[in-house]
Amino acid sequence: MTPPSPRPPRPGRRWTMAAALAVALTATVAACSSADTPSSGTPGTSGTEAAKGPVTLQVWTWNLKGNDPRAKAIIDKYHQENPNVTIKLSEVGGTADTASKLLAADQAGDTPDVAQVEYRGLPALVVAGVVKDITADVAALKSGIEPNIWALTTFNNQVYGVPQDIGPMMFTYRKDLFDKYGAKVPTTWAEYAKAAEQIHKKDPEAYIASFSAAQLEFFAAQAAQAGAQWWSNDGKAWKVGIDSEPSLKTADFWEDLVKRDLVKVEPLLTPEWNAQVNDGKLLSWAAAAWAPNVIHSVAPDTAGKWESAPLPQWTAGDPAVPFLGGSAFLVPAKSKHAKEAAAFAAWLGASDEGSKLQLSLDIYPGGNAGRQATLSHEPPKLMPQQKDFYQVADQVIKNTTIPVTWGPNVNVSQTAFGDALNKAALNKTSFREVYKATQQAVVADLQKSGYTVTK
Amino acid sequence: MTANPAGRRPRLRSAATPWLFATPAIVLFTLFLIIPIGYAIYLSFRGFRIDGGGAFGRRVQTFVGFDNYLAALTDPEYVAGLGRVLLYGLFSIPSVLGLALLFALLLDTPRVRARGFTRTAIFLPYAVPGVIASLLWGFLYLPSTSPLNYLAKQLHAGPLDFFSFPTLYFSLANIALWSGVGFNMIIIFTSLRAIPTSIYEAARIDGASELQIAWRIKIPLVAPALVLTGLFSVIGTLQLYSEPATLRPMSTTISSTWVPLMKIYQEAFMNDNLGGAAAASVVLALGILVLSMLLLRFFQRRTFGDNA
Repeated sequence: MTPPSPRPPRPGRRWTMAAALAVALTATVAACSSADTPSSGTPGTSGTEAAKGPVTLQVWTWNLKGNDPRAKAIIDKYHQENPNVTIKLSEVGGTADTASKLLAADQAGDTPDVAQVEYRGLPALVVAGVVKDITADVAALKSGIEPNIWALTTFNNQVYGVPQDIGPMMFTYRKDLFDKYGAKVPTTWAEYAKAAEQIHKKDPEAYIASFSAAQLEFFAAQAAQAGAQWWSNDGKAWKVGIDSEPSLKTADFWEDLVKRDLVKVEPLLTPEWNAQVNDGKLLSWAAAAWAPNVIHSVAPDTAGKWESAPLPQWTAGDPAVPFLGGSAFLVPAKSKHAKEAAAFAAWLGASDEGSKLQLSLDIYPGGNAGRQATLSHEPPKLMPQQKDFYQVADQVIKNTTIPVTWGPNVNVSQTAFGDALNKAALNKTSFREVYKATQQAVVADLQKSGYTVTK
Repeated sequence: MTANPAGRRPRLRSAATPWLFATPAIVLFTLFLIIPIGYAIYLSFRGFRIDGGGAFGRRVQTFVGFDNYLAALTDPEYVAGLGRVLLYGLFSIPSVLGLALLFALLLDTPRVRARGFTRTAIFLPYAVPGVIASLLWGFLYLPSTSPLNYLAKQLHAGPLDFFSFPTLYFSLANIALWSGVGFNMIIIFTSLRAIPTSIYEAARIDGASELQIAWRIKIPLVAPALVLTGLFSVIGTLQLYSEPATLRPMSTTISSTWVPLMKIYQEAFMNDNLGGAAAASVVLALGILVLSMLLLRFFQRRTFGDNA
């Protein structure tokens, strides 16, 4: 660098300031670039440098919230049993946010050690190479979770996450208002349509439910119930069944309800939705065993007026449903403490102690011990009077025999499908066309990425 | 530079001085603008493709040529998004600039009271971040929470739907209006205060009314400020994002790719297609650049006339 100007004081001072700033900036750049050198070394293998000394695990989760005393009790318990491990919790958003942040963190070489995602988001992360195969790490606790639940995180016989909570599909409804309007609790979707008619006739401002086009997973579950598989693979090639006939039949069903104005076209959990649930204008939510807690969080005053029943069916008497929602803990490929991370994920999801503790968070545990414990647990706060809530849910899980495979590009279909379905619902155009267009978009995206797609 | 052997040493030093003063700016500009832009252009030629076969083959980043650009330019949603921002601009730009000019002129009239307070009051909404303003307006727009809708109901007027076409465009423009008017008014007002008062005195002696002064003297003289604010508004319109993105989860009429920036966000962070997002960003940036240059050239000839 050129020496400072000989000209007297003031310019000279500016000179040095400018120079100092320049130096400071270069230092920052150096710091930035040096920060990612250690991790750029050997991604994925770092988990083998085992547990010497204390280890801090960064955990991205929305189940365990840092300021929640119930979550703190769980973490304290783990600290007690594993004195050399410290758990640091952070909440980075839902599945979509977690996935995009995890991809960015992976590129920067600075990932957390454990991250929570919903099951449908896992395959995309696995093919992006950001998830560690933890088959060996969780082998010891494998028997703590039923195989049909492990299947949610197992691809090509490799385990990529530990199931934490599950969503046996249930129909949660306003018992008092169903009775008042003389609507029967539906056991089939045909009865659901009848109940929708009855409710809307008795109170033109009330609807059986909202129709939220953004809930891709719900429509996939509907199709699965009808016998369709949106994604499937034989280990080599993908098959997409969004436009298969059983799937299209479910599209017809919802198109009919929307056209007859028997469901309210609007997104879930907006201030508007919350207000209508509180006012008793939206009477049910076909979702899963976690729905009561969500409703309770937006409409606590309606507690005691709700009940949950098994989901309506396409064929009367058929008890099978898929899972909806629920989530797993994965270990990122670049975690520096993969072994400890997998151990923590397995403890909370699969061990007797961990899965029982999950129940204290009002979530539905996927582990056997936790599921067993639900049977003697108080019903959710939304329906303190429905003493058999967990018995009903348990029966649903026993009947949950429809496996759902999620493809590596669920995210691509999610928005394409939601946008198009919203449009069709507003303009009262064909839902079948939406399903067909989504099929094309999903297949084209798979092919663009280089996957083999079979007819 | 002309050679001057005798004065080489001092000349060299004085030539280096401005560069040194500019160093911090150049370093910052390079770090936070040039390098990211370069990286974005690099990314726009990259894409994820499958390495190895199988249903769970890993995606790796490779060079894909102009694939991403082709995809961006032929994507009907992206092009439709551009159409929507232009339609939105048609509503929002004239109303923002019109109101900003009106308020600036009113504040500049001689007998105005509480000028400082009024100016601050008009400017204040600019301090409310766009996302927060959108959330607040979201509550005011949704039928069950909206006081406007409550009033309409009392008057037996049907439920107001602020999210249906074409009301949606006004609803969105309204959010931007509050902050836009304040900001642009300050620029126009500052420019008005810079006009020498002797011109007004001359006009008054000639018998011009305040209205005539505003119309025939003030507006032509602040034309450069109007061009500037207009240009900012056009750029801001093409970069519309936070208002529709914040309102999207509340409505069924705003798709997740409603405006170009939402589409870009979608590609980058939801679909994990950084290359496609980078290409779409480059296309948008070039479009904005060309449009601004055309606008500037057009207005420069008219407003700055002989000086240009």
